[in-house]
Amino acid sequence: MINVEDLRKEAKRILKEGKVKYVIGYERDQNGLLPKPAFIKDPDDVDRMIWDPTCIHNLTKFLVDEKKRKAAEKKPDERPVGIVVKGCDSRAIVVLLQEKYIDREDVHILGLSCENYGVIDEKKLAKKLKGKKAEKIELDDHGNFVITAAGGTIKIPADELLAERCLECPANFPVVYDLLLGDKKKKKVDEPFKSLEKMESLSENERWSFWTEQLSKCIRCYACRSACPMCYCDECVVDTINFAVTADTTATEKAGKIKWVEKSPAPSENFVYHMVRAMHLAGRCIDCGECERVCPLDIPLRFLNKKLEKEAKKLFGYMAGFDPDEPSLVSSFKDEDPEDFIR
Amino acid sequence: MAENFEPKIVAFLCKWCSSAGSDLAGVSRMQYPPNVIPIQVMCSGSVSPLYIFDAFNKGADGVLVSGCHPGDCHYIKGNFYARRRIALVKNLLEFIGLEPSRFQMSWVSAAEGKKYTQIISDFVEQLKPLGPQTKLRRNQ
Repeated sequence: MINVEDLRKEAKRILKEGKVKYVIGYERDQNGLLPKPAFIKDPDDVDRMIWDPTCIHNLTKFLVDEKKRKAAEKKPDERPVGIVVKGCDSRAIVVLLQEKYIDREDVHILGLSCENYGVIDEKKLAKKLKGKKAEKIELDDHGNFVITAAGGTIKIPADELLAERCLECPANFPVVYDLLLGDKKKKKVDEPFKSLEKMESLSENERWSFWTEQLSKCIRCYACRSACPMCYCDECVVDTINFAVTADTTATEKAGKIKWVEKSPAPSENFVYHMVRAMHLAGRCIDCGECERVCPLDIPLRFLNKKLEKEAKKLFGYMAGFDPDEPSLVSSFKDEDPEDFIR
Repeated sequence: MAENFEPKIVAFLCKWCSSAGSDLAGVSRMQYPPNVIPIQVMCSGSVSPLYIFDAFNKGADGVLVSGCHPGDCHYIKGNFYARRRIALVKNLLEFIGLEPSRFQMSWVSAAEGKKYTQIISDFVEQLKPLGPQTKLRRNQ
């Protein structure tokens, strides 16, 4: 079991020694069970940091923000940023390293192993509690979540409460870290793409009606894009940049500003947006589930990314987020890549 | 309606091979269906997935991406990248429920005018029974 005091001690040490600018971790939110991100600059504040199965967020997005902020500063503080990561989050860092978006020196990684389990799914929890408000969630030694809610404690087997991604996690411990807390033991996952099977067994028309129903809901708030640590482009293809077309505007300038996707949340446009996003995340998505978590309309976005993750593994033997020195999926090839679909 | 339906195919053709192949078919006066809108690209590897989605979005009934045979790429390895990327696009389109035969890829060299006409004829034959593509089409 991980003792959160060890984490606090290390955070305190690196802050005191001035090794890092600040530490990004989790802290208890006043309002409810789920934690919120904590940005700790003062070594005396480290007691705010927590670690429990409710720490569902992927904090690596803040590394992307930090890089953008640093680029805008005149005299940036060159020290690294400390960050608390789980297994999945550490793979996000690996992808950012692989793409040379951040350097290894930019970040001090405090890795926490999920130790056979993982984090909870807030929607599953809400269903179990039937309106009651949970105050505390702990994992006991027998693989049960012990939930303290109004009027006593409830024991629920971990598998019923874990997030879908945790049930299919390829490595529930950090793959890159400066400090590792907890055991580096791997839970055996028999069916890493189980959630997809139901979808894939549907007929073409059933799949189409499923996605039409789901993607028609999309209001294009772009929360999925905002929460994704991999969506770091300065200019996104779905953002229409209006510019004045005058007599002097050259064809090249016009061609560079094609309106690929309409802003209106019509189903046809939503399809293009979500498919483009899925393609851009092919071989990069590390399945942290943030897009689905932040979606205000509960669109199962994770399926799209998971599908391409599955194909990448099946067709090309590629798994995202394990080796920062490996070339990325779409910028590499092998002679023996399948081509049976090509005439 | 269905029997009179003429599908509209958007074909992304590599400048160095498939486009020249279609040219050969033309100058040799080979007969093939006039349903194709050819778009010359510099390499099949330069075809972004967005081009394909956008073609469907703007009313294509079928999309063809055609490049050089593996090993023949003018840019040495562009078609190898294309092969990977297009495999993913194809799987994604099938996953969301588009008919698999609406999207195809082929290798056509500059000398294969005959193969090009064959591919187009077969593609049109496959698309005719499917009717117009309305799934991804933008409502006008």
